[in-house]
Amino acid sequence: MLTDYRSTIYHCLKCGACKQAFDIYMPICPSGMKYGFDSHYAIGRISLARAIIDGEINLDTALMHRVYTCTHCGACDEQCHNAVGVDPLRVIQELKYEAVDKGLIPPEVRDYLKNMNVYGNPYMLPAEDRGKWALNLDIKSFANQEYLFYVGDMGSYDALGQQIARSVAKALEAAGISFGILGDKEVTDGNDINLVGEKGLYEYFATANINLFKELSIKKIITLSPHAYNAFKNDYPAWGGDFEVQHYSQILAQAISNKKLKVKGIEKVKVTFHDPCFLGRHNKEYDAPRQILKAIPGVELVEMERSRNNALCCGGGGGNFFTDMLGSGTKSPSRIRVHEAIDTGAKIIATTCPKCFNMLDDAIKAENAEDQITIKDLSQFLL
Amino acid sequence: MKKDKNKIKQLLVSIVGQENISGEIPDLIPYIRDSYSTMMGRNIPLPDFVVMPETVDEVQKIVLLANDYLIPIYPRSIGVNIAGSALPYKEGGIVLDLKRMNKILEINEDTMTATIQPGVTWGQLRKEANKKKLDIIPIGGPYQTSPVGNHLLTNITPYSSKYHCDRAMTLKVILPNGKILRTGSWASEHGGDANPYFRYAYGPDITGMFRGSLGNFGIIVEMVERLRPVAPVEKEIVFGFKELGPCLKALQAIERLEFTRTCQVYNNILSAHLCLAPHRIKEPGEREKLLAKLPPYQLGIGLGGTEEMVALFEKITAEEAGKRGGYSVPVELELESVAKGASRAIMHMYAPLSGFAAIIGCLPITHVAEINDIVKEAVKKYDVRDPLTGEPQEHELIVIPYDRSSTVYVEQEILYDPAADRATLEPVMQCLRECYAKIVVQYGASHTIPNKTLMKMLVPSYGELLVNFKKMVDPNGIMLPGGPYSLE
Repeated sequence: MLTDYRSTIYHCLKCGACKQAFDIYMPICPSGMKYGFDSHYAIGRISLARAIIDGEINLDTALMHRVYTCTHCGACDEQCHNAVGVDPLRVIQELKYEAVDKGLIPPEVRDYLKNMNVYGNPYMLPAEDRGKWALNLDIKSFANQEYLFYVGDMGSYDALGQQIARSVAKALEAAGISFGILGDKEVTDGNDINLVGEKGLYEYFATANINLFKELSIKKIITLSPHAYNAFKNDYPAWGGDFEVQHYSQILAQAISNKKLKVKGIEKVKVTFHDPCFLGRHNKEYDAPRQILKAIPGVELVEMERSRNNALCCGGGGGNFFTDMLGSGTKSPSRIRVHEAIDTGAKIIATTCPKCFNMLDDAIKAENAEDQITIKDLSQFLL
Repeated sequence: MKKDKNKIKQLLVSIVGQENISGEIPDLIPYIRDSYSTMMGRNIPLPDFVVMPETVDEVQKIVLLANDYLIPIYPRSIGVNIAGSALPYKEGGIVLDLKRMNKILEINEDTMTATIQPGVTWGQLRKEANKKKLDIIPIGGPYQTSPVGNHLLTNITPYSSKYHCDRAMTLKVILPNGKILRTGSWASEHGGDANPYFRYAYGPDITGMFRGSLGNFGIIVEMVERLRPVAPVEKEIVFGFKELGPCLKALQAIERLEFTRTCQVYNNILSAHLCLAPHRIKEPGEREKLLAKLPPYQLGIGLGGTEEMVALFEKITAEEAGKRGGYSVPVELELESVAKGASRAIMHMYAPLSGFAAIIGCLPITHVAEINDIVKEAVKKYDVRDPLTGEPQEHELIVIPYDRSSTVYVEQEILYDPAADRATLEPVMQCLRECYAKIVVQYGASHTIPNKTLMKMLVPSYGELLVNFKKMVDPNGIMLPGGPYSLE
């Protein structure tokens, strides 16, 4: 209930710390940067939440449009928590829960949820297709290997996501890691379902995953996507899903450090790393991907000004990758991010999230910047 | 306005484009909220539109349109809005959100100035100034506020002992009548653009007319802001004192030696709040542990110069503090950042639960201890409780000298929980009123900005002058009508 967050809502000082990253003094809120009005920043969404609980306005789809442009990147929490001790993201999430409960969601969100309900994935493709990414690769189904490699919806169905899933699988094999996959048995992790506010459906998929994992005696999981990593690590324990979860960048960084994975050199090149929000800000893993990049002979790692806890979101989080509530255009965070990467002198943007990869890949094309910069998943440096 | 609303919207769209104007309720609501007005129980009416211009030309066109249709305008720079000064106070009208005007147009190393737009923040300006070995002379407030907004509000700086409190050199303003005004040397029609850096040109200080005017006299669209050189060595030092009196005496003595860069006195409650991150302060016992270590009063001094100069200044400062019972204490990182200004740690002073009622007065240093006692007694009388512990509250105190301590700025904060009910907040309000009544009437403590209550307490000719100036530049009364700072 929104009223459970009354204290948080009333404690917003209206100071605007949620708009700008401290220390680097740059805009940090993707939706605020895109639309400009305060209603698209945390400061405005908290004002709307307060007007609702004070009985001045009712929640409706027009209001929720301003809420759903939030990419749940956590940049506002990062700033506000340290400035005045308020965590606005939880209030924003609660607004979404209430909107779903009351059926007051924009059509884009409704359609996404409908697809998840009917097909179990946002691509409206059959479950039997889930394992196709692994065809022609000698990857075993899970049968008591040490790890489950969980690829999720994008690794299963999205063309670029499938490429990344394959390169990660090859890197895991090269590191001698014992793993198996679920193929067509895999079920969506549900992270985005939760973030658009459908708690019930999220619980349904989470429970299905937990039961499946337990049935197969899965204890350790490697995820392709930071979004699945976030769901398994932070939410599943509440439903009895206590698994040892790692993002693939973490286990590969360990393998390199333990000399189990030999890294080949590449031609000298400047690379900048884009921190995915659900690996970085939400789970505080900033170092593992950088350790990998630094271990690759020929790679010169250069940082964007907005990096690590101040990284600018690509715009694909919070379900936006599928709902596109944030919309496109020159002020899209992914397009701004591409220019920020180019400004470092880097020729390659590295990342570790299939959503970020897609968003930035599209943005490079939209900006006609293909001759200036390309994007690679971290695993693709290791092949 | 109602019958012309669609027409006006179309005209505004033709000026700023469809994506930079909204009349939809969810976009308007955030512009009628701030901390202070909510505590005061003010009912803030909705504007008709929020409009986000990007250029001087767009601002001018909007103001001319507002005159044609008699539409109120409520401008705001970056939107850090905790004191009710940038809210609409009459139904309808336009909130002019200037955050898109966020460009630093020039940083001039020779004149040590920056030419900035209203949406530029202190933090943004500091970052760019530092690249040229210059720094801002910021307010004590946080990094995300706007130098232009602060000029209009007349806020206070820890650097005021060296640079006074006023850093604006010249201004480019869209007057409420739609005309463009340039002040100081920038006023010259022919050579002004070549030299917009000198404030004291062509008679009376028109730049100063806008200081503390809260936007009544026009919209500052560009401002030439003074910067300072970064010294080879800059150091913050802090002395602890058991009593406020000797601490203030030490401040006075040190200020009169005329070498400090920054200078301020604060009590241990304020120091503890500044030092503790907001989530830490809520942990039981954390604040009390820190308070036990802190001296009751602290004198923070910022020094700058060559290594030899700073060493000498530090020695002299320590001697002066020592003569009055002061002793050296380690400088907490957060206090160091607060001393430099435009910090994040300054936000922590409100952070225990984010509600604060500020009692502000500028007066001779002689009376600071007395007005500190007035607030203490009022807090006790109204039984104002600490919002964290429920125990009797000890208020926050900060003293910053203006102009080598002939007068000082004193801010005393009473904290409260904004989520509390009206009955709990009422004693805070009563306490606030009583403190103001006493410090203004008994000690002549002055506020830096005029509001309707304070205007009634001024000699009539002063208020008339401000009101008539407003009428002259705003014949249609479109700028900020209806509010406590409206000069109506």
